Amino acid sequence: MATATARRGSDGPAAPGSTPARRSGRRGRAGAPDPKSAPDGRSYLWLQGLVCGAVATLATPTAVLGLALFAPAVVAAMTERREGRPLTRVLALFGAAGGAGPLVHLWSGGHTLALALTLAGDPAVIGLAYALAGLGWLLSEVGPLVLRAAMEAQAAARAVRLRAARRRLSDAWSLAADPPGD
Amino acid sequence: MAAERDGSPTLNDAYAVDVARPLDGWEGAAFPATAKAAPGAPLLAIVVPPGRAPRARILAEQTGTALPGVLMPLAHGPLVLPDGRTVWAVVTDAPPGPSLAAVPRAWTENELLRHVVIPVGAALARLHASGVHHRGIRPDNLFAAAGQPCVLGPAWTEPPASRQPAVCEPPYSAMCLPCGRGEGAAGDDIYALGVTLIALVAGRLPLAGLDDAAVIRRKLDLGSFAALTGDLRLSPSIADLLRGMLADDPEHRPAAALLADPAALRARRAYVRPPRRAARALLVGAESVADGRSLAWAMARDPATAVRHLRSGVIEHWLRRELGDAPLAQAVEDALRQRRATATSPARADGLLLARAIAALDPLAPLCWDGLAWWPDATGSALAAAAPGDAARIVQAVAAEAPAAWAGARPERSDVHAIAAEARRQRALLATAPPAGGTDRLLYALCPLLPCAAPLLAGRAVARLADILPALEAAAADPARHRAPPLDTALTAFIAARSDQQGDGLAPLIERALAADRPPAPGDAAEADPARGALPPLAQLRLLAALQTRTRPGRLPLLAAWFLVQAAPVIATWQNTAARAAVQSRLTALAAEGVLAPMLAVLDDPAALAADAQGAQAARRQVAAIDAALRGLAAAGAARAEAALRLGQELAVGAGMMALATALARLALG
Repeated sequence: MATATARRGSDGPAAPGSTPARRSGRRGRAGAPDPKSAPDGRSYLWLQGLVCGAVATLATPTAVLGLALFAPAVVAAMTERREGRPLTRVLALFGAAGGAGPLVHLWSGGHTLALALTLAGDPAVIGLAYALAGLGWLLSEVGPLVLRAAMEAQAAARAVRLRAARRRLSDAWSLAADPPGD
Repeated sequence: MAAERDGSPTLNDAYAVDVARPLDGWEGAAFPATAKAAPGAPLLAIVVPPGRAPRARILAEQTGTALPGVLMPLAHGPLVLPDGRTVWAVVTDAPPGPSLAAVPRAWTENELLRHVVIPVGAALARLHASGVHHRGIRPDNLFAAAGQPCVLGPAWTEPPASRQPAVCEPPYSAMCLPCGRGEGAAGDDIYALGVTLIALVAGRLPLAGLDDAAVIRRKLDLGSFAALTGDLRLSPSIADLLRGMLADDPEHRPAAALLADPAALRARRAYVRPPRRAARALLVGAESVADGRSLAWAMARDPATAVRHLRSGVIEHWLRRELGDAPLAQAVEDALRQRRATATSPARADGLLLARAIAALDPLAPLCWDGLAWWPDATGSALAAAAPGDAARIVQAVAAEAPAAWAGARPERSDVHAIAAEARRQRALLATAPPAGGTDRLLYALCPLLPCAAPLLAGRAVARLADILPALEAAAADPARHRAPPLDTALTAFIAARSDQQGDGLAPLIERALAADRPPAPGDAAEADPARGALPPLAQLRLLAALQTRTRPGRLPLLAAWFLVQAAPVIATWQNTAARAAVQSRLTALAAEGVLAPMLAVLDDPAALAADAQGAQAARRQVAAIDAALRGLAAAGAARAEAALRLGQELAVGAGMMALATALARLALG
């Protein structure tokens, strides 16, 4: 997982629970909010580690299968730097949709490590989970582009209508033919 | 004016003028003419020379008046010459025979009395009784058939005495500009007749070979009778007659009625005191003078030296010490005192000083200003015929109200109040900004029958308001002229002056156009030329439309088309394209009809213009809003990209949640 960063950069006071090494580790993006930091400024990384450790220790099959199923979301969480981590959220949701069935099967099948490994090695299970993750990624990346194209088209259509109205007015009243900037 | 079937143009549709046969022996152009009502009677049509002001008052009051012994005007008006030019012409009876100059011979005393003195005296008496001075009596303007009494020729087409040789005029008339001799006095006709008698006795004009200045100086030095008769042998009766007729003071000359009774005339003797002469002559420039009136004449000819002598006291001292004329010296001293009290430019003050001093020195002398001399009643005709330099000096004299100063210095010989009032009126006309005032307005105001000198009307004698529009319609046939406005400063001033004289009330239109229309008038900025003083096109159209309404010249399609071109800047002020096209279309249709008033109504529509301006204002506001919206669209590209990104991501999250919900639902439902 990513390391925690100081909330206010190198000049600000250290966040509770952070070490000096951590405070200096993200100095290059000083001022940018850290997605891993709690709204009140304290990092929950240690809590996440505790939960992960507890799950790995107490429910190892679930942890093994979950890691296999949620690998794209985990990679996205480790690499994504955008505010709100939108891609991670989408991959997590689609991963959950693809992994819900195998996990229920694991838990209903005795919750054994062997079953977890069998499911994790099943290409259909992993393929469905990763395909849904890919679909999520595709939606996350292409959706904004499509929407932007639609918005630009709408703006261009309005500009055409405005220019036509302006031309009618300028023709009717002998005003400047072109709007400023043309 | 129309052409007859045989090609001869007619004057006033009543007199056929044979312009193909110009008559010899006339200084101006003259043609034989006949009255359509009486084709057998030979008539004469005399053309008014260009730049000369015909005698408007006489033509207005005496045309058609029959006065035996004088070729009175029968009609006057425009006449078309073979070369296409239009001239102003005066029709009179044809002379009964050749002029006396055409048949030179020495006349006997009896012939002079029976054929010249008595009949011409009687004719002059009738003329003077009508308030007319002939001012054109000379051997070549007296006509007689063989053995018949003489008849006075015409003298109506040019300013009074403008054709008279200096020898035929009294010195105070001869020293004037030829067209500045004025109506003069009745005695001036007697004087000219006296010179004519000497010429008839001698068989030639006296003082032949001398230039005008020498003739005047000789008359002033010797007196006219002595100067003109010289060693000519005259009978005592003729000498007595001529001595009275050639008296230098017009008041000492006999009345014309006395000429009809030579016996009574011979008994009349006027005592003339010889001028006082100085013991030592005074040198004024190149002139050596020994008496007051010679001094005045020398001062008039050399104004710079005269002013210098006046201001240095040389002349006053000479008058007092050498001439021994204390009252004259005092009069000059008064003129100097008035100059010191005059708050005006030095040049103008010096001019007034000289005019006053000369008038005081010789009350018979005309107004003298900066080397020129003219009688104030001839200011207009002198200005019309003067060369540009002389015209400028005349204008300076008018601007200085010099006639008033001149009259004030010789009150016993002037109607001071009338002359001063006229001088103020002329100065006010001159001081008004062109074209409502200025030199052109002054000129046309003073010369009621002077044709307009606008270049556009060259070759057309436009002397009355009614002549303007037909002349402009003819000029409008050349489309190249349509680039400039029809009315220039001269023509506008002409209209204003003639309108004043004819009471047509157009002058206020011009003044209103200048005072109110000029700055805000539509098209003014595009057309008005302050240097030329031309009216803006709308004001010109307003003026000519009023003129068309008043003079009713008929349809004027070419002039209307001219205004169609000139009105382009005015039409361009309509901001609505459709309205502008409609105005243009309506004007084009109206121009074809040739009536200016409806065109004016279309162009000069304040309500429509106001509505157009309001519409244009609203359109400008709408365009500004559209431009702002377009600018907003162009600037919102980044915001749209950000919104698209955010919304796309939200949609992806929503899709993920739906997928998860579907998966959970499937698990729950087995």
